[in-house]
Amino acid sequence: MRQALVEARGLMKTYKRKDGTEVYAVQGIDLDIYKGEVFSFLGPNGAGKTTTISMISGLLAPTKGEATIGGFSITRQPMEAKKLLGVVPQEIALYPTLSARQNLDFFGRMYGLGGKELAMAVDEVLEFTDLKDRAKDRVDTFSGGMKRRVNIGVGLLHKPQLVYMDEPTVGVDPQSRRRILDTVIRLREERKMTVLYTTHLMEEAQELSNRVGIIDQGRIIALGTVGELVQKVGEEDRLIFDVGEQHIDNAVLERFKQVAGVTRATYQSYNLKPAAGAEDSAEIIVEKRSTGTMQIVRSGQVTDGEITVYAKRGRKALPELLRIADELGVSILSVEVREPDLEAVFLHLTGRALRE
Amino acid sequence: MRKILSITFNDMILYFRDPGAVIGTFLIPVVFAVVLGFAFSGNNGPTQVRIDVIDNDNTALSQLFLTNLRQANTALVLCPADNSEDDFCRLGDDPALTEERSLGRLSNNDTLALLVIPAGFEASVEANQPVSVTYRSNENAAAPTFILQAVQAVVQRMGGALVASNVATNTVAEALPFDDDAARDAFRQQAYDEAAQLWAENPFSVSYVAAAGAPQASNSQGGFGQSVPGMASMFVTFTVLISAINLIRERKNWTLQRLTTMPVSRAQILAGKILMYFLLGMIQFIAMFGFGLLVTTILSNFSENVTPLYLGQDALGLLLIMASLTLCMTALGFLMGTLIRTEMQGAALLNLLGLSLAPLGGAWWPLDIVPEFMRVVGHISPIAWAMDGFRKLLFEQGTLVSVLPEVGIMLAMAAVFFVFAITRFKIE
Repeated sequence: MRQALVEARGLMKTYKRKDGTEVYAVQGIDLDIYKGEVFSFLGPNGAGKTTTISMISGLLAPTKGEATIGGFSITRQPMEAKKLLGVVPQEIALYPTLSARQNLDFFGRMYGLGGKELAMAVDEVLEFTDLKDRAKDRVDTFSGGMKRRVNIGVGLLHKPQLVYMDEPTVGVDPQSRRRILDTVIRLREERKMTVLYTTHLMEEAQELSNRVGIIDQGRIIALGTVGELVQKVGEEDRLIFDVGEQHIDNAVLERFKQVAGVTRATYQSYNLKPAAGAEDSAEIIVEKRSTGTMQIVRSGQVTDGEITVYAKRGRKALPELLRIADELGVSILSVEVREPDLEAVFLHLTGRALRE
Repeated sequence: MRKILSITFNDMILYFRDPGAVIGTFLIPVVFAVVLGFAFSGNNGPTQVRIDVIDNDNTALSQLFLTNLRQANTALVLCPADNSEDDFCRLGDDPALTEERSLGRLSNNDTLALLVIPAGFEASVEANQPVSVTYRSNENAAAPTFILQAVQAVVQRMGGALVASNVATNTVAEALPFDDDAARDAFRQQAYDEAAQLWAENPFSVSYVAAAGAPQASNSQGGFGQSVPGMASMFVTFTVLISAINLIRERKNWTLQRLTTMPVSRAQILAGKILMYFLLGMIQFIAMFGFGLLVTTILSNFSENVTPLYLGQDALGLLLIMASLTLCMTALGFLMGTLIRTEMQGAALLNLLGLSLAPLGGAWWPLDIVPEFMRVVGHISPIAWAMDGFRKLLFEQGTLVSVLPEVGIMLAMAAVFFVFAITRFKIE
């Protein structure tokens, strides 16, 4: 039987608004995280991931409920519990005017390390994060990716049993992102550490996790391995047709549904708004919310739409779907075929995309 | 304890990482202290200052002495004789002065000096017998130098003239006796008038006695006795209140939140940070007094207006005053840190507090020269209590025991600020 390192029971966090009404940030979470696994919390921004983890790591006091790490209550035995925990916050929580070594040295002392043990731990972390040659440089001279690596290194100094990483890849370039993901894999494979990982990127959760908890509006709405979760939406592929500004009526969707293998077809249009102050620009860069890609549109052309078709064998249905679109005069700008993934699970469970 | 010291040490490194910190902490305060020290030095006193005069002789000569004193410096108001209708002398309903009452007035700063002319003053002078006028001073930067100088000038002028007239009269009398006493007095007056400008030697001297009565030579501080503790108190206040902004910055950088996820208690974090600002304030205080002593010692070789800074006779008392003010301001800084939300708010509040508490508390000028109600209001500022303590130690030969009331009040203020700060302190 697997042994739980983290146990959370009925964790709840509420805030009071100025008008006296209560906001439920986390609405009663029960959770076990097992030793040696990478557990990811997946959910859109504001879903309650960070609040949940902040309560588990002792930063926030829960309004109700309790969490334990290694059997120690984070509220009643915080010192014992925190010795088992290494936290890597989303923010670069470092002293920018100190060197990487000075930062590691200070935080190591806070974990109770000292003397040779501390010096060895710092050297080991610098080696692990590949920052040995920049150890004496001030952190504010580092690139974003390097700062992230020091940030991670601080959480590993005391060789904790549990490492909590809160969206550690936010704002880093693809190369640094890859490096961070590899670090997480090494923590699991080489150091047998338990990792609690939060992200809003399903690709990361899918790649790293033994188990995933999908969280939305302060509740865990699905929990299991990636395979178990994907099974919830069946074996359907998603075909996403970018139709730009065209208006798509129901007749198009009805024709699509008649194609063999297709179970559903939906149309979604987005109002893409330029950034504040850029409304009058001839060209505006906007983020296409469905894919997260950036595109340039002309002022006044700030709508975008896509048809999503669910099909059991998507690639096989594609030629027929394109033919029907052509027949009905619908211009398809691009097509993307997506196999079942956590994004689809989230969409299936909430009716919304992860990035919404 | 190791974790507390590590937080303190780390914060100290962070503070001095900024090259501007050394300039702001040490250089600028010293420059201010030197400039203000010179401004308060020399004869440039306030427009009117009170001197208590007890004339136990009450003769023509003693009155002449006082008239000459008034002429020597028109800023001097001789109490009670020259009291104004609105009671500038602060005598209340009872205008009579006794030596005991005046000594009390000295320690309360109701008067800056006491001059006692002994009974038999005129007779002694005429008989060529030594006689002393007693001058007691509540030494501070603004007044005593020019008060003492005025007294000495009168003593010199009158003494010289009296000696000359006595010698001339006696010499003439031996060779050519006067017809009567009136002729003798007329000759003596004529000789006095002519000799008034020819001061030879002093037939009587001024014996200077410090207010607390200790047998101590003059510890005239010049302006630096005011400017060094004043500027040190003000800049320590600024330095320590910056703790509020640093708390906001640490929250923004998330380093404070990160500490709470580590096996460190909230009390240890607070203690480490409080200790850092307390030590920083103490270092700055000691450095300021050290620099003050060094600079005044060097400058005294080049300027008559500068005397080496006198640090009193009780170093422990001095340290206790410094520690009490630093602790009080550290507590106020942490309280500020719980009230503000942004660094901008912190900077605004820092300037407001620093630039109001310092002048209000007598860091810029002595509270002796401000109206009574301002002196009362000024004691809202912890700096006023510190300056009172410094004055006792640096000017009045005070000891640790004599500054305990000031220390107690500052520590009580610190306790109140800490209680509010700790109950309001949130890390997240």
